Amino acid sequence: MEAPQYVAARVQQALAEDGRTHELGIRVDIRGDQLFLRGQVSGPEQRERLGLVAHEAAPELHVHNEINVVEATEPGEDEHLD
Amino acid sequence: MSILTDLRIAAVGDIHLGEDVRGHYRRSLAGIEDRADVFLIAGDLTRHGTLQEGKLVAAELRGLPIPTVAVLGNHDYHSDLEQEIADELRDAGVIVLDDDGVVIQAGGRKLGVVGGKGFGGGFAGKCASEFGEREIKNFVSHTRSIAEAWQAALKEIEADHRVVLSHYSPIKETLEGEPHEIYPFLGSYLLAEAVDTAGADLILHGHAHKGSEKGMTPGGIRVRNVALPVLGRAYAVYCLTCADA
Ligand SMILES: [Fe+2]
Ligand SMILES: [Fe+2]
Repeated sequence: MEAPQYVAARVQQALAEDGRTHELGIRVDIRGDQLFLRGQVSGPEQRERLGLVAHEAAPELHVHNEINVVEATEPGEDEHLD
Repeated sequence: MSILTDLRIAAVGDIHLGEDVRGHYRRSLAGIEDRADVFLIAGDLTRHGTLQEGKLVAAELRGLPIPTVAVLGNHDYHSDLEQEIADELRDAGVIVLDDDGVVIQAGGRKLGVVGGKGFGGGFAGKCASEFGEREIKNFVSHTRSIAEAWQAALKEIEADHRVVLSHYSPIKETLEGEPHEIYPFLGSYLLAEAVDTAGADLILHGHAHKGSEKGMTPGGIRVRNVALPVLGRAYAVYCLTCADA
């Protein structure tokens, strides 16, 4: 059986290199037959695509898509640099 | 020292716009002219660097009511269409820096902005050097020539304030939260050294989505990581105080 670290590395590479996603900052963790995706993206469709590409790269694992969508909201407080 | 004499800089990076969020980002910029005098964008405007995405970003940024300056990020280079994307942005009224500088009139002051994409290599004591294989030498010399261009541009510029706009980080403090193993791909101390030598009031960068907002160069110049996932808001606003109020 392939070591989980190599599977995680392969999934992470797929997320970065697959033309549908090209997402570099996603953390991939594998525990047994469970695969966890964590990180932040700018839209819900990108999150879904990442789940799909991860599933295709490791179809034998159950994917938990825990990626957050960061909505660009109101600007916060100003910072004064002096 | 009144608030009226502040130069207000809105900044963000890594907006990574795609078709599914068309219109959303622009809406979050409503009223930016009441909050800031200038808008600086620290690269990674697209996801895959396609021309289609470049046009989408240009449409989202077109005709903003305050001067807008951008650099590109590594994602914007992915399809080898960085020139075309920069042209789309320029056509939409965005000033795009490519290892050069510009002086803009903002809040009654002259603001000099110098920068470009930047590049990696790592940080002092734990970095690549121009030694060995051609591939490694090319990697390091790419960063070195960028740093030299910024230093020259900073020295040349005449303005009340000078800000450096980069995609890659000049320091490691603002990478805090990223795995240490990838620091050499997130920035280079050569960028900080160049800016410390020439002098500036503030350095803005993106790229490290899991990094931290605030840090400082060894020379004491404030650094802010304005990657959208780090900020968790549409943009940050930094106020530079003008001394002769
Ligand atoms: Fe990015
Ligand atoms: Fe980036």
